[in-house]
Amino acid sequence: MLRYVVNRVLLMIPTMIAISIIVFAIIQLPPGNYLDSYIAELQAQGESVDPQKIAFLKKEYGLDKPIPEQYLRWAAGMLVGDFGYSFEFNLPVSKVVGDRMFLTILVSSFTILFTWAVAFPIGIYSATHQYSWGDYGLSLLGFLGIAIPNFMLALVMLYFANVLFGTSIGGLMGPEFIDKPWTWAKFVSILEHSWIPVFIIGAGGTAGMIRKMRANLLDELQKQYVVTARAKGLPPGKVLRKYPLRMALNFFISDIGSLLPHIISGAEITAVVLSLPTTGPMLLAALKSQDMYLAGSFLMFLAFMIVVGVLISDLALVALDPRIRLTGGIAR
Amino acid sequence: MTRRPFLFLFALAVAWLGAAAAVAEEPPSLKADVEAGKVPPMAKRLPQSPLTVDIQRSEWTIGRYGGELRTLLAKDRDIRMMVVYGYSRLVGYDEQFNLVPDILERVDNVDSRIFTFHLRPGHKWSDGHPFTTADFRYYWEDVANDPDLSPFGLPQILRVGDRGPRFEVLSETAVRFTWEEPNPQFLPALAGPSPLFIYRPAHYLRQFHSKHIGLDKAVAQAKAAGARSWAGFHQKKDEQFRFDNPDLPTLEPWINTTPLPSTRFVLVRNPYFHRVDKAGRQLPYIDRVVVNITDGKLIPAKAGTGDVELQARDLRFDNYTFLKENSKRNQFRVLLWEKGLGSQMALYPNLNVDDPAWRALMRDVRFRRALSLGINRHEINEVVYFGLAVESANTVLQRSPLFRPEFRAAWARFDVKAANALLDSLGLTQRDARGLRLLPDGRPMEIVVDTAGESTEETDVLELVRDSWRKLGIALFSRPSVREVFRKRVYSGKSMMTVWSGLNNGIPTPDMSPNELAPTAQEHLQWPMWGQYFENNRKGGEAPALPEAKELVDLYESWRRAANSAEREQIWLRMLEIHAQEVFTIGIVTKALQPIVVRNNLRNVPTEGLYSWDPGSYFGMYHPDTFWLEPRGPR
Repeated sequence: MLRYVVNRVLLMIPTMIAISIIVFAIIQLPPGNYLDSYIAELQAQGESVDPQKIAFLKKEYGLDKPIPEQYLRWAAGMLVGDFGYSFEFNLPVSKVVGDRMFLTILVSSFTILFTWAVAFPIGIYSATHQYSWGDYGLSLLGFLGIAIPNFMLALVMLYFANVLFGTSIGGLMGPEFIDKPWTWAKFVSILEHSWIPVFIIGAGGTAGMIRKMRANLLDELQKQYVVTARAKGLPPGKVLRKYPLRMALNFFISDIGSLLPHIISGAEITAVVLSLPTTGPMLLAALKSQDMYLAGSFLMFLAFMIVVGVLISDLALVALDPRIRLTGGIAR
Repeated sequence: MTRRPFLFLFALAVAWLGAAAAVAEEPPSLKADVEAGKVPPMAKRLPQSPLTVDIQRSEWTIGRYGGELRTLLAKDRDIRMMVVYGYSRLVGYDEQFNLVPDILERVDNVDSRIFTFHLRPGHKWSDGHPFTTADFRYYWEDVANDPDLSPFGLPQILRVGDRGPRFEVLSETAVRFTWEEPNPQFLPALAGPSPLFIYRPAHYLRQFHSKHIGLDKAVAQAKAAGARSWAGFHQKKDEQFRFDNPDLPTLEPWINTTPLPSTRFVLVRNPYFHRVDKAGRQLPYIDRVVVNITDGKLIPAKAGTGDVELQARDLRFDNYTFLKENSKRNQFRVLLWEKGLGSQMALYPNLNVDDPAWRALMRDVRFRRALSLGINRHEINEVVYFGLAVESANTVLQRSPLFRPEFRAAWARFDVKAANALLDSLGLTQRDARGLRLLPDGRPMEIVVDTAGESTEETDVLELVRDSWRKLGIALFSRPSVREVFRKRVYSGKSMMTVWSGLNNGIPTPDMSPNELAPTAQEHLQWPMWGQYFENNRKGGEAPALPEAKELVDLYESWRRAANSAEREQIWLRMLEIHAQEVFTIGIVTKALQPIVVRNNLRNVPTEGLYSWDPGSYFGMYHPDTFWLEPRGPR
């Protein structure tokens, strides 16, 4: 087991290197660099930039260096925790991300908790009451949740909030708290505002999870051990909790791998629509404006989260499910 | 005996004047600070001779202090628009496009060659530190001529024939710039929306400059802050236009208090602002400006929900009906201002296209004229712009003193017959089975128009152009991409023709630069390589091949040397005439309208105005410092 873990961790190193090269290459793929898109944007508004200043910025940002050198600089910097410089904000990347990372983790954690809290009972109910009116009704709701994109739901809610209540629901805290130091009142304000994004972002995920929970549990409910347990006279609630439910949880653990990056990236488009101060809109903007170190560091972080997440879910599965064994060779 | 009462009266008059000055009402939001002694009273904050803003406009009234103005921008970085709207400049345009002193008390201009600037004695930066000629000296000596901060030399505007001016500090309030030859671009550059800043808050910036604190300390300081060099760090702190450093003192009406990145910027009144209203009360009227950052595509929706006091940016004409529909419920009005572009939408045949057969055609004036005659502008105006725009070639607008009706009408009528005759005279008489004319090498005439993919407006217009060009035996295809790719394709000659807005400055006066009319920059979509040739001092790109283009360059050069406005006007008119006759760009409609959302209780916003980047600075020219908010009462 230890050997397996060590091997997996060592394997992460070449994976991350490969990812960093791919990320950097993809960011460089669109023609031009940050300054080109900066100039193009200014010119689109009729603004012009002094060529002298552009030359100065090019030198200052190191964009006059060959691309491999730019890559090596960035990659070497990351090893010592220097994620490079955001051109757009004229700040080190770590300072740009700052508070946003925390708020993103907060909103995403709430969203995940919300998803679980809603999806679990409903999934179990629809599995145990298969083809009942309740199952049909909840499944219909679930399909609606999957079918409506989050950002669409956000737009619809924005519209109705304005037309019916005359309020605007964007943002994550009262305007008076933005960019202010953390206080209890600010925290409360965030809690008050966060249920709307949590609901909107969580809607799709909840629906998906209901379906998965239902399907997995239905598989288990058909199996012989359940019949045996029932025949032996165990109360139905206890049968469910003790056996099939536990079996049905595997999907849930293997999901952690994809859950972790979700916590960081959030739902970009929804966050844009609701103007949430999370990292999603920032990543989107950085990619659009070719702010390469900011975008690159974000993507690297997401990749790192996936790699770690998959490792955690693999290990957790081994620990939780005695049927999974590391036999037949190492590592893979 | 007779002298005494006289003296007495005099003393009385002095006392009364003093009282009147003291009576001028202090902005309520500053009262507490003044009483606590944190800021001096108004008389001490203002320069000795403040600028009195007196606007002759019927609906214009003296305002009330207070309130908060909310507006929306699409990106954090757009916070620079507040410098555009604030429009505090050394000299600025008034509503008739005259250059008038603003921050400066007076400008003496000898032949556009010797400029003497007189500051307002007692003028202060937003932190209360005096604004003097030392701030001009700091820019000249420690920024513009510093080898680390300006490794590539002086800004282009300051160079005439590659030579900079002589700079002299005459006194604490007077500086002089002297060029050997005229530099007519100098004052317009200072009055622009993104002006050339030739002064710096020296007292603040010194702490970052290696010359003032020593190289070691400057470098260590920059390193600690994560910057690559001290010059980069100084530059970062010294962005008067980016407006992203709350510590940087400013002369604008409102001070930004929020650093990047943020989703909400709060700007507060500059207690030392140099303008007053007729009653002698210090401007601005509005205490705070709050800028919320929202995705550009959502700005129309948010403006429609009444989340703003004032909004124009990112609103498009096709949002007008939506905004109007919501205006009653959310208590705002929607104004339509004229845009300052020479053409809302224009086609740019690329004279540098890399296909030889097409290049020869594009460079033939008959071909360009035929294309222009083949556009049904009236139909486009009715269908896309509700008939509210004006059908026109790409030239200056009626508001400009340089406007001539014949420039607007030149080759801008819809005349399929004449267009076909022109094409026939080019020898393009062969046609294929679809009825398309054939190029001399046998290919069908299919023109691909590149668009930057910004809006559906472009594609709607192109769709209509396609219909009418079909009658000339020419097919049109549009090829949407994104801005960067679009520009790359044009610069490299890959693109045949592009669609973009027309002249950026549609309301020039003879004293504004005609550089857009001559091949002087690569960004000109009709002749990128000729422009590059000029931009790089005749080293890169291609020399202009058409005599008319060469003449335009010569005219532009002579404009730069012209000593007076009359001469400049002649040059401008000649350049416009060449443009009209040669149809280098094919204008479609002009005077398109910009919707502006104004909350019902926001006053002094003109009902009719010009929404123009330069000259105008969008709202800047209309003095947002005099906009004011009526307290919410029963409506």
